[in-house]
Amino acid sequence: MDFGTLLHTISSITPDRPWGIDIPNYFWFTGSSAAAFIISSFAHVFGMKEYKPIAGFSLLLAFVLLVAAPMNLIDDLRQPGRIINFFFYGWENFPTSPMKWGVLLLIAYPLLILVEALVLYRPYFWFSKGMVRSQEQIEKDHHLGVVLGAIGIPLALSVHGYTGYILGAVHAIPLFHTPLMPILFLASAMVSGTGLLIILLPIFQKFFTDFKRVDMAMMQRLARLLSWFIVIDLVIRFFWLTFAITFNGEEKYALKLFFGENFWEVLIVDYVICLLVPMIIGFTNYFARSFKWVLFAGILSAIGVWIFRWNTVIGGQSIGKTTPFLLEYHPHIVGFDSIVSVLSNWSLLIALIALVMVIFPWDKEMANYYVTKEER
Amino acid sequence: MDEKELQQSRRGFVKKTTALIGAAVLTAPSANAISLTNPGRERGDARYIGQEGKRFGMVIDLRKCVGCQACTSACKSENRVPKEKFRTYVPEYELGTYPNVHKAFLPQLCNHCAEPSCVSVCPTGATFARKDGIVVVDSEVCWGCGYCINACPYDKRYFNPITNVADKCTLCAHRVDHGLLPACVESCVGGARVFGDFNDPHSAVSKLLSSFPTTVLKPASGTKPRVFYIALSGEIQGLPYSPNVLDDMARKIDGMPTTREWSTKGE
Repeated sequence: MDFGTLLHTISSITPDRPWGIDIPNYFWFTGSSAAAFIISSFAHVFGMKEYKPIAGFSLLLAFVLLVAAPMNLIDDLRQPGRIINFFFYGWENFPTSPMKWGVLLLIAYPLLILVEALVLYRPYFWFSKGMVRSQEQIEKDHHLGVVLGAIGIPLALSVHGYTGYILGAVHAIPLFHTPLMPILFLASAMVSGTGLLIILLPIFQKFFTDFKRVDMAMMQRLARLLSWFIVIDLVIRFFWLTFAITFNGEEKYALKLFFGENFWEVLIVDYVICLLVPMIIGFTNYFARSFKWVLFAGILSAIGVWIFRWNTVIGGQSIGKTTPFLLEYHPHIVGFDSIVSVLSNWSLLIALIALVMVIFPWDKEMANYYVTKEER
Repeated sequence: MDEKELQQSRRGFVKKTTALIGAAVLTAPSANAISLTNPGRERGDARYIGQEGKRFGMVIDLRKCVGCQACTSACKSENRVPKEKFRTYVPEYELGTYPNVHKAFLPQLCNHCAEPSCVSVCPTGATFARKDGIVVVDSEVCWGCGYCINACPYDKRYFNPITNVADKCTLCAHRVDHGLLPACVESCVGGARVFGDFNDPHSAVSKLLSSFPTTVLKPASGTKPRVFYIALSGEIQGLPYSPNVLDDMARKIDGMPTTREWSTKGE
């Protein structure tokens, strides 16, 4: 006999839930940053020549995303003025509070990318001042770049992996509580980061370079890469959901309720429209050759991962811990942790991208791969 | 100065500055700026240390609870708990099907767990367990990230809209430290709530624990709660995922507006 159906809650309270719309946005930013860094490392560390043209660009993108990301966290705080306490107090909880790991990661990672970018673009900065770096110096720079990139890869994985830990460590929330969470977050991060590159690269190549043309072969390569990342993401999600819903203990009841109630948002919108469709586009030569389809796939997958972050963070908190059924979240329009604050964060991102792309000679560097010496 | 010398003087500057910042960071802990815990605990403030050697907790005898909510209101007035927030409350359940139906009441408060999952995740050390086991929040250190609120499996933490930080039941530590009982215990008409020191074998709670079979809420969460229940129905021990709260459904039918950011989902 299923006692659950015979049990009614007559009265209860509505419990508090702390995290709002800022948090999925934060996870999306750090994830995309990690992915952009990894893609830049394809060329910088692993020496994959076909990714060379976008290595510098995606490195700068990784930097900008991670500078903007923590603003979401500060906005989500109820007492943002006390941020210094995060650095000063509570160090005894360091081993058990994944949020605390952010103190080190969120400082070390953007600094490392900045140094790597400065090393990468040093010859160009010198050149603009009328100086030329010698061949020996350039080789030294290159070596330093490889070392920094190699340190950066585990750091990039950690900076997003730790956000997965933040959620995975919460055993009170069945949707968060899985050891797969960090790896699940990394897999979907690769999807959103590649999607974002697919959206931004053609804009910058077409409008902000001297050669003014979109590298269609690169777009096709990124679309194929995106598809493979989606395959990895889906496989991990398959393992997660089969174990969490089917072979789980008590948590499975809450998860069945959650996925049953949100079937449309999760399965149809997120999995089918935002993951399967871009995957098919990337794997099908007919679509992958078309700029518009590839762009469409990039946009869909970037949105899809944002929805996944939302479904995880907001959806997880919607599950009742002492109250029956689910809670509902209505983000405020203005104020802390609101729709406007997320839009502001995006505006900050765009402003920072503009600023960094003006300061760094990424277009001169990228032109090396598209324009012959004579043309220059 | 030629280019090379300029380069070297720049390098020298960078090196010196880095050394200076490094030295400042390393000397900072000796000035008590960086703490493993929080300033109150480092000072050894009595409110932070509590009563050493004791282990406070509660035994709730559900056979005696009539669901009058005297504890709920006593707690609210004693601790000036803001509107729509509760440190303790008594949900009401209906078990079985007609004609074999009965009501159940489940007084709930912070369990002051022996392994509190809210404490271990706190990134600022604002929340901690006193030496007598009472879990409290330093409202002047907490930065309001809400990690503890999500980590608590019992939904017993909330954001206090006045202090704007996490808040919770203190087991009326301010009363207990002066030899008084917690407000909810003091006001319990049926004597269902019994407070005491589990370390003292002659305390009322120790005697109840040794005379009756007791259990805790959500034992699987591994937090080792220190609020024990006598006669807790197995059906509500895990805190159920049944359909809607009947109360909420009535509110929805009456067309009462949703003003809160998070609210109960209605049909």
